[in-house]
Amino acid sequence: MTQDNPAAAYLNVRGLVKRFGNDRAVDDISFGIHQGGFLTLLGPSGCGKTTTLMCIAGLHHLDAGEIRVGDATYTSFATGVFMPPEKRDIGMVFQSYAIWPHMTVAQNVAYPLDIRKVERTEIDERVNKVLQLVGLGDMADKLATQLSGGQQQRAALARAIVFRPRLLLFDEPLSNLDLKLREQMRIELKRIQREVGITSVYVTHDQAEALVMSDEIIVMSKGRIEQRGGPRDIYGQPVNRYVSNFIGVANLLEGHVVRVTAPGQGEFEVNHGNQRVLLPCRLGEGLGAGSTALLSVRPENVHATRDKEADPCLEGEVLQSIFLGNCLDCRVLWGDFEWKVLAHPRARLRAGERVFLRLDPEHTLAVQP
Amino acid sequence: MRTGAALGTPRAAPAEGRWRSLITQESVTTVLASLVIAVVVLLPLATMVVSSFRVLDGFGFSAHWGMDNYRAMVNDRIIAKAFLNTLIISTGSTLLATVLGVSLAWINARTNCPWREKLEPYNLVPFFLSPFVGAIAWHDLASPKIGLLNAWARDYLGVQGHLLNVDNIYGIIWVTGIFFTPLVYLFVVGSLRRMDPSLEDSARTTGAGLLRTTLTVTLPLVLPGILSGAIIVFVTSAGEFGVPFKLGTPYGWETLTTQIFSKAVGDDANYFMGAAMSMSLGVITAFLVWVQQRIIAPREFTTVTGKGFRPNVIDLGKWKWLALGYNLAFVLFAVVIPLLGLLIVSLHPVWQGRIIPADLTLQNYARVLFWWQGNHIQAATNGIGNSIILAFAGATIAMALAIPVSYMIHRTKGYGSRMLDFLCVVPIGFPGIVLAMGVLITYIKTPIYATLWILLLGYITRFFPYGQRNISSIMLAISEELDQSSRMAGASWFTTLKRVTLPLLKPGIFAGWVLLFIIFLRELPISIILYSSGTETLSVGVYYLSNFENEPLTAALSIVQTVILLVCIVVFRRLAGREALTA
Repeated sequence: MTQDNPAAAYLNVRGLVKRFGNDRAVDDISFGIHQGGFLTLLGPSGCGKTTTLMCIAGLHHLDAGEIRVGDATYTSFATGVFMPPEKRDIGMVFQSYAIWPHMTVAQNVAYPLDIRKVERTEIDERVNKVLQLVGLGDMADKLATQLSGGQQQRAALARAIVFRPRLLLFDEPLSNLDLKLREQMRIELKRIQREVGITSVYVTHDQAEALVMSDEIIVMSKGRIEQRGGPRDIYGQPVNRYVSNFIGVANLLEGHVVRVTAPGQGEFEVNHGNQRVLLPCRLGEGLGAGSTALLSVRPENVHATRDKEADPCLEGEVLQSIFLGNCLDCRVLWGDFEWKVLAHPRARLRAGERVFLRLDPEHTLAVQP
Repeated sequence: MRTGAALGTPRAAPAEGRWRSLITQESVTTVLASLVIAVVVLLPLATMVVSSFRVLDGFGFSAHWGMDNYRAMVNDRIIAKAFLNTLIISTGSTLLATVLGVSLAWINARTNCPWREKLEPYNLVPFFLSPFVGAIAWHDLASPKIGLLNAWARDYLGVQGHLLNVDNIYGIIWVTGIFFTPLVYLFVVGSLRRMDPSLEDSARTTGAGLLRTTLTVTLPLVLPGILSGAIIVFVTSAGEFGVPFKLGTPYGWETLTTQIFSKAVGDDANYFMGAAMSMSLGVITAFLVWVQQRIIAPREFTTVTGKGFRPNVIDLGKWKWLALGYNLAFVLFAVVIPLLGLLIVSLHPVWQGRIIPADLTLQNYARVLFWWQGNHIQAATNGIGNSIILAFAGATIAMALAIPVSYMIHRTKGYGSRMLDFLCVVPIGFPGIVLAMGVLITYIKTPIYATLWILLLGYITRFFPYGQRNISSIMLAISEELDQSSRMAGASWFTTLKRVTLPLLKPGIFAGWVLLFIIFLRELPISIILYSSGTETLSVGVYYLSNFENEPLTAALSIVQTVILLVCIVVFRRLAGREALTA
């Protein structure tokens, strides 16, 4: 976890704990985000990401910790401060969109301004503008029930940003859409967020979504933070087995670091049958000579060739090779380990063939087990 | 609430801050509503339990503690007999209602019986009418001396004496059974309609015939629904007062309810004894309702999925005409014939078992309706006005309470919401006459005694769970996120309630209100215990006429009550569509 400078962070969550009965749904987590940033809480269901979001929104009370936005304390367990959700000035987009079925699109979007007693003419103007922004300009007078899922999604976003909140929260907003629409909405949501420039916290279990949209990603599991970083860091340098597996696909080999060759670089030893194989690698945080570790290699960083090109090279047998158009998805058996390999489609590897695997040392990473 | 201010406050402040964060619009409203419900429900029951251990001495002036009242349940000849009769009547009506309800539901949901969609609402009509009026109607049709059917049997069939006699325990079972048939019907018809047809299809593909499939797959799958319906009928029959009072008491057939009534208002009034009998009846019914709610009802949905299926429709061939005849016969015997009988009787100055065309008159209607006429009957005219006031006020107050209560049950977590959920089931477990006895003993020394307020209190205590369940079913269906997004948009709890939650709950609130309005218009067992001169209700008016005036006047007011109820049902169905008034 990278260190924050709490003074610079706009949204500041410190030591957050939320219990349901004896279950610690959120177990002492802290993070911050700078103004205008887009932070994603990523993890499987039950990892505490939505609970964290609900605590920020004020829809859950918390059992310890503090949440601040700018210079305002939203919740502080220690001093007993609890600002009710309606006073927090937070826009929120829910998983079910929560578009009120008894109002038109325009009424839905105007609601937050109505509550704030904004003047009628200004309301109309702002509602119009924001509906244009989300691409619902001609849907203003439709009832919410007449909208498609994607349109409800846009209406929910319009309602959340129309009052220019301090903070925008998204609770898995795309999970009810079909794949095509979801991919389109990712880009769209990100564009709108950048345009309005509101600091955002986004919750999802979809790693692709997190990679596409975020400035920063927090990977969570069992109420705790596993890793925090930019999309490239999280994908390229996962810190442990959990993150390696959760983000993308990885080949994970058990073994240990034998020596450190340069700062952050070393050699990793794996047992192969009764042989010991040494592989050059980069070293993750907290690993030194002798540490038991896990070697993590992405399938696209394993190169399969028919001829022995370099040393060390791993000789194996192609188990299967599936043509996916832009690549070949291969499984290569090496001893009792099955490598996942993404090969170039022109490689034409066939099942049963002998091949040599070369690992790119720059993208071969030893991580905490 | 800036950080600086929070940090600058002295050490005592945290506790205060925490307290203040607990006092919100939401918590104050829901906690207040819950306290009202807790007091209203628990106080009468507690008072009744305590009173049942008070033993009145021979002169009726002083009392001491003891178990004598409970001993009388076994030893007192009349009370023990009444206890036994209650069990026999409830068992008999349950059997009758279950056989009729299940067969009618099956015909309507799963066969190609002609006109079945048109007949469905008529199968449910008895549910909305007063069983007491049904008993009066059947008395006029089939009592040995003045029964119209018996007179016809003597005249046209040459029968000596009488053909039919409903003035006994069998008559009570007959009337109670057909009036509570819709309860079983409603419990079963839903499961039959929503059943996944592939469950039956797969039985057919293994080679089981139609009859075998129905008996080995379909019926077992709806068994929980049948059992639920049967238990509710048993409990409702055990608490029924009007039918045994009309057809049993004058002919030596007492039940627990008629005995409780005599201990509450009769010459040998003994509230403590009444409380003990009420407790004994209440313990049995509450146990049965507990079994239904906690053990049987949860099983209803495990075999029946919520998806919208088109159920298999069985082609009955030419037997479908028999099915139609059966269904028509039910509607005839449950609704048409009794109401026609009442109408005929109500048009005669006196009733002696014979239609006398020359004597027909509307005089009886004038006397029960026209309060400005000198010869009007006060109990009847008062009753109509009071019942409309009570139904309107009762339904409105009960629904107003039900909204925050349902909110607390479904939108908050923890001990309070579970406790409240339990409190909302308790009144369903106790027959009206039992709760009324508790209300009477509790409030008899307060100023609300002998006013409409005590009746209102009794009605709401007993029936508010029915309204609450209407709201709950919708609240479960609408996502909590709809409320939450309003809070996030900056609206307070009250504003959210007003602008989002209530508009979405409107159909449920309306349906619950209508159901309570109709129940209150025909209510007898609570009213009969709690009324006094001047606060008669419609059903009490009918009781008064039946007891102190003649049959035609009774019939006239019965028809008036039935017409009011039918008009309400038609109007409300128009307003709310088909869904209202089927649950």
